[in-house]
Amino acid sequence: MVQTRKLKDGSRQVILNGNQYDAITKILSDLATKTKASAILFADMSGQLISQRGHTEDMNTTVLSALAASDFAATSEMAKLVGEEAKFKLLFHEGEKRNVYLSNVGEDFFLVVVFDVSVTLGLIRIYTKKAIEDLRNALAEQEEEGQESDQIIDDDFSTLLGNALDDSFK
Amino acid sequence: MFINWALQEINLKIVYYGPGMSGKTTNLEYIHSKLDPSLKGDLVSLKTKEDRTIFFDFMQIEVGRIKGKKPKFNLYTVPGQVYYASSRKVILNGVDGIVFVADSQPHRMEANIETLLDLEQNLKEDGQSLENFPWVIQYNKRDLPGVESLEELQKRLNFFNVPHFEAIAVRGDGVFNTLKSVINSVVQNVQNQL
Repeated sequence: MVQTRKLKDGSRQVILNGNQYDAITKILSDLATKTKASAILFADMSGQLISQRGHTEDMNTTVLSALAASDFAATSEMAKLVGEEAKFKLLFHEGEKRNVYLSNVGEDFFLVVVFDVSVTLGLIRIYTKKAIEDLRNALAEQEEEGQESDQIIDDDFSTLLGNALDDSFK
Repeated sequence: MFINWALQEINLKIVYYGPGMSGKTTNLEYIHSKLDPSLKGDLVSLKTKEDRTIFFDFMQIEVGRIKGKKPKFNLYTVPGQVYYASSRKVILNGVDGIVFVADSQPHRMEANIETLLDLEQNLKEDGQSLENFPWVIQYNKRDLPGVESLEELQKRLNFFNVPHFEAIAVRGDGVFNTLKSVINSVVQNVQNQL
């Protein structure tokens, strides 16, 4: 399982290990090859980009993930207002040159597929559905033992972070 | 908090919360204008044509590697206007630390209190509470004439005695100290909970 912990104050900590990251990236690569999508992003519902594939060099994918997460959040509120009890599972934006297909992966993650209008939606749907299953399996894999967040955030780390912040804010 | 071991990244989400026109976007704009381009991404603002935040502002900042790890901070603001309540709620999803930007003017006191209660309500719905969540208060607009005294603001708003800062966000006074403090609170909080 991708390690998700609730801290005592109720905030959420999500930890992804190396194997999971590699597996996710491979699934995105396969999806990019099969669909000829321009860009594929995998992110979490708080707007955090996790992995990306395709031609993302000219795209601000950090911002795209944040906006896509808000898109999900906004439409889930919309779902409530129109009397839909579950969240909307998929969002589709149609453009003149490019389309964007967003689909959730479990409760906490989602996939963004950006593709040219020349690619048929049906193709995207079929392969994305398969990729989502694979992603869910990858996220459910057993985590490696050992690496814990307490190893990274020790006293030393906070001091060094404080210094780095001071330097950046000069 | 999102940790990616493969990339050695630690991602934190900081949300600037507060009543309308208290200066949340101004905080982000100032940070964005002063940081080295290598440490920051674009500042994205979803605004109405009257320049009010309709959904959120977003910016990611970095500070380079620390002990081999790469901390990244995702800064968000929420729209302050009362009628954007549901936008405010969704932006809090996955939040690690909050900056409450209060307006120091006496006629905005009620709006400050109302927004603080709205924040507490939204946190509660996610099983969190201001009592033990990492957050700081920024008393903004200290340069305006006739502002409320610090004592009064503290008494009315800072009931959990969290770190507080006086600020003039348009000039940048207090902006970095506020951000540094909230990041520090988040890191302390993670340490304490392990």
